[in-house]
Amino acid sequence: MWNFIIRNIAQRLILLVIVSFVAHSFIHLAPGEPSEVDPMNPRMKPEDIAKIRAAFHLDDPLYMQYAYWIRDLASGELKSFKDSQPVLPKIWDRFLNSLPLFILATLLVWTWAFPAGIYGAVFRGGVYDRGTVFLSYALISVPGFFLSYLAILWVVGWFGVPVISIKTFGMEHAESAYKIMDRVWHLVIPSVMAAIGGIAVLSRYVRSQMLEVLSQDYVRTARAKGLEEDTVIYGHALGNALLPFVTMFGLLLPGLIGGSVIFEQIFAWPGLGRLAYEAILSRDFPIIMTLNFIAAVLTLAGTLLSDILYAVVDPRIRLH
Amino acid sequence: MIVKRLLLFIPLVLILLLLQSYFWVPTYENQAAGNPDRLVTYIEGSSGDAKILNPILNADSSSSSIVSQVFEGLLDLDENLDLRGRLATDWQISERAYLVVNPHHRFPDGAEVTGARLFQKIQEAWKTGTDEGLSKAVQSVELLSATQRQDSISLLLPNAEGRPQLKDVRVAVHVPERVAFTLSQVDQDLFDRLKPIVGEHYFEHFPYDEAIHPQEELAKETEQALRDKYQEILPVGEHNPIIVFHLRKGVKFQDGHEFDAGDVKFTYEAIMNPKNLSPRTPDFEPIKTVEIVDPHTVKIIYKRLYSPAVNAWTMGILPEHLLNDESLTRETEQRGLSAEAQKAFGMRDSQFNRQPIGSGRFQFVEWQGDEFIHLKRFDGYWEGPAQYHDFYMRIIPELFTQEVEFRTGAIDFYGAQPHQVDRYKNDPTYQWFSSLGFAYTYIGYNNRKPLFADSEIRKALGMAINVGEIIQYLMYGEGERTTGPYPKNTEWYDSTIQPLPYDPQGAKAIFQQAGWHMNAEGWLEKDGKIFEFNLITNNGNPIRKNLMTIAQNAWKKIGVKVNTQVFEWAVFLGDFVNTGDFDAVVLGWSMGIDPDLFQIWHSSQAGPQQLNFVGYKSQRADELIVRIRQEYNRDRQRQLTHELHRLIHEDQPYTFLYAPLSTRVLDKKIVLVEEGPDGKEQYKKIYPTKSGDITFYFHKWRKLEFTPDF
Repeated sequence: MWNFIIRNIAQRLILLVIVSFVAHSFIHLAPGEPSEVDPMNPRMKPEDIAKIRAAFHLDDPLYMQYAYWIRDLASGELKSFKDSQPVLPKIWDRFLNSLPLFILATLLVWTWAFPAGIYGAVFRGGVYDRGTVFLSYALISVPGFFLSYLAILWVVGWFGVPVISIKTFGMEHAESAYKIMDRVWHLVIPSVMAAIGGIAVLSRYVRSQMLEVLSQDYVRTARAKGLEEDTVIYGHALGNALLPFVTMFGLLLPGLIGGSVIFEQIFAWPGLGRLAYEAILSRDFPIIMTLNFIAAVLTLAGTLLSDILYAVVDPRIRLH
Repeated sequence: MIVKRLLLFIPLVLILLLLQSYFWVPTYENQAAGNPDRLVTYIEGSSGDAKILNPILNADSSSSSIVSQVFEGLLDLDENLDLRGRLATDWQISERAYLVVNPHHRFPDGAEVTGARLFQKIQEAWKTGTDEGLSKAVQSVELLSATQRQDSISLLLPNAEGRPQLKDVRVAVHVPERVAFTLSQVDQDLFDRLKPIVGEHYFEHFPYDEAIHPQEELAKETEQALRDKYQEILPVGEHNPIIVFHLRKGVKFQDGHEFDAGDVKFTYEAIMNPKNLSPRTPDFEPIKTVEIVDPHTVKIIYKRLYSPAVNAWTMGILPEHLLNDESLTRETEQRGLSAEAQKAFGMRDSQFNRQPIGSGRFQFVEWQGDEFIHLKRFDGYWEGPAQYHDFYMRIIPELFTQEVEFRTGAIDFYGAQPHQVDRYKNDPTYQWFSSLGFAYTYIGYNNRKPLFADSEIRKALGMAINVGEIIQYLMYGEGERTTGPYPKNTEWYDSTIQPLPYDPQGAKAIFQQAGWHMNAEGWLEKDGKIFEFNLITNNGNPIRKNLMTIAQNAWKKIGVKVNTQVFEWAVFLGDFVNTGDFDAVVLGWSMGIDPDLFQIWHSSQAGPQQLNFVGYKSQRADELIVRIRQEYNRDRQRQLTHELHRLIHEDQPYTFLYAPLSTRVLDKKIVLVEEGPDGKEQYKKIYPTKSGDITFYFHKWRKLEFTPDF
């Protein structure tokens, strides 16, 4: 087990270097320049542009630019092209903004998808099952941003309360209970919107897993023993049906970055996804690279975590 | 079964917990009633966050809109787009000019040129008044003796990969005797006036190799690049325009420190400091020196004629005491940076750019990245405080959400899209303002291609397009026909010029005259080739895309075959526009207030990566463009711009289409508050200035509790 973990970490570290190098090359080779060296500014002279390019090391060979980036990242002095602010504190601030949205959306997905999928499997072919199948395919097919717009129009139109951004404006002097609840309210619509797609997809998986388990011999045996139906389903079948989902916990990690770019954009939420999006638009290489690097770290850590979790919960699997 | 119940209860409890928060959030009606501060708070929506709040460093519109509230320049533009004094009370423009003695030259009478002779001849002409312009503007003439000086010249040379890079070369310059002139106003024709005395060719053939000596061994390319700079290093005739600013006394920065001439000089030096990478350098690079005459007088001497440099002083002035080397060093120490980072640390890295202090009407309070920027009014402002107490810029990237927030009152201002304008114009809750901006949309033809080389053909192509229809249907009427390169709401635009008529028959006739005839398939054909080209534009702008289709269809009717294509912005610029490898493009320009069109229309700017990408070349236009940027007199400038406008209109390098109108919608409760004669407040309806700006009187704006009747 420990062998496995150590070997895997080593492998992933090598992979991380390769991924970051490839990503670095791709980002720099893609067309477009940082907006600071935008030659469409009619007043900019070639001399000025040459100076800015030199300051950003844009004329150095790619591997040198990579080395500069690694050096500055390691020393914590990496700066954004856009406003010359240190990259890591900037990312951390945005991360704290994105975190509640991410946690709440994940909670909603996992608490709603399981009952929805399980009941669908238990009452297979019934009205409820067919209704949820239809609904989940509808929700998978309708783009999230479209639903979000409808939700905004509907909520604002009917209830007349603000839903955009992280809190209501002009509430600075209100009591703290009101302020906290105001923040919770602003979380509701974007997190529900971000969760809907996830609920639809995950409940389909749960349903099919559950159906598979319910058709197995030991379930029939349990029923033959004369156990109550609830005991059969929730006592015997459910645990086994849920096993594969444990591994998905690990895969949630990379969703922290870029998991909700669209929703943050629509709801004017000052989070990580928007930071990444704006950085890409203005070709702010240090930010793009660092976010990409963190995403790669999270993905690799997530898959490792999944492997380990699977071994922990399923005694049939042994890691070598 | 407990598991079953949990599976049911947990999601229900979670969603109920979330939904109950609704009851804690005030609705808009309640919010306004319980929150009187809302009436003195102005909230604006912006689709992009600011980048850097420093007047010498910012280059994006969100940053500049905040910076213009926090900082103030020496000058600004008044209702009529004329300059008026802000931090400066008034200013005078004069000139000092130098004529170098060219020892290898002979006067028209055959005599050899020496300093004494040149001086004597000029003095004679000046005193006797043979040239009226000379005797009128020149106040004194003197002879300066020869000197030596050391210069460091920056040359732009291609490196191994062909990218331009800067190289500094040290040179010793031997400056011969010079005649110096003092003029009461700038006269760009001074040296032309002297030509009858010194001879037509006096300004050519100066023996530069004798005067300029590089202090190091130079490679061949470097030497050539240096040679190209000779006239810049030692011009035979040199104009030095001078601006003297008298500064307002008793003006304070928002931290209480008094503003003086040192801040002006510091701001200039900060712009020119290569470490700061200021995008403002082009406007300040022509400055030779900034002298502090006394704490409230600054004298700025320029190296050459460059009239846009006057407008450049509308830029905000920085507080020296917060950004000088001492303060920056203190900041690096407080932040505990590594030695290397300390060395590289410059103004760009300072926290000042996140919490600026200026001398403008509003002072900075808080900035939450991608969320909002909060300003409050500066009570110590020299003209008195603004009506609004607080100013918020909220960052809402989606236009749709901006509109939703506007309609519920969470922002006070909305820029309506063309298709929404009708809806808002008919809604009694809002007041709206429609005006021209500085932008226009055009179809640009690659003038280098033989197909478009003839201005008549370009004219015919323009005549085939029904611009009126485009404005009516594509822009929902939110645009005006434009005929030339200047913004319609400036005096540089000549409104007497008539737009091209919509006349497909006339267009056909022009093609026929040029030898094109209609073939069997309905296309224009000449020498076995049909008139066919590609029209391209950038992705992400639906109006341009539709425009392309309309043009394609209009041209098809007269027998011109057009293929259209849309490219991603970076590809569009990189592969087509910058390389000049295109036939025709649909694009738009957003112009400045200055009449200088050098970058866009001068023939020297037609190379790769340059902005005259259509390759427009006209000798007369070049002359006019240079004269305009060297002219400091507004009336003469206007005459020249009108001539240039007419010339470009006749040449039709672009088909000028329309200038979009922008419509801004505000709550009707927002009014102008003025003090009446009896000392009581008077309310007036907000009105735009001549140039269409409604925020010019922003400091008088306030929201009332009731909707006033005007």
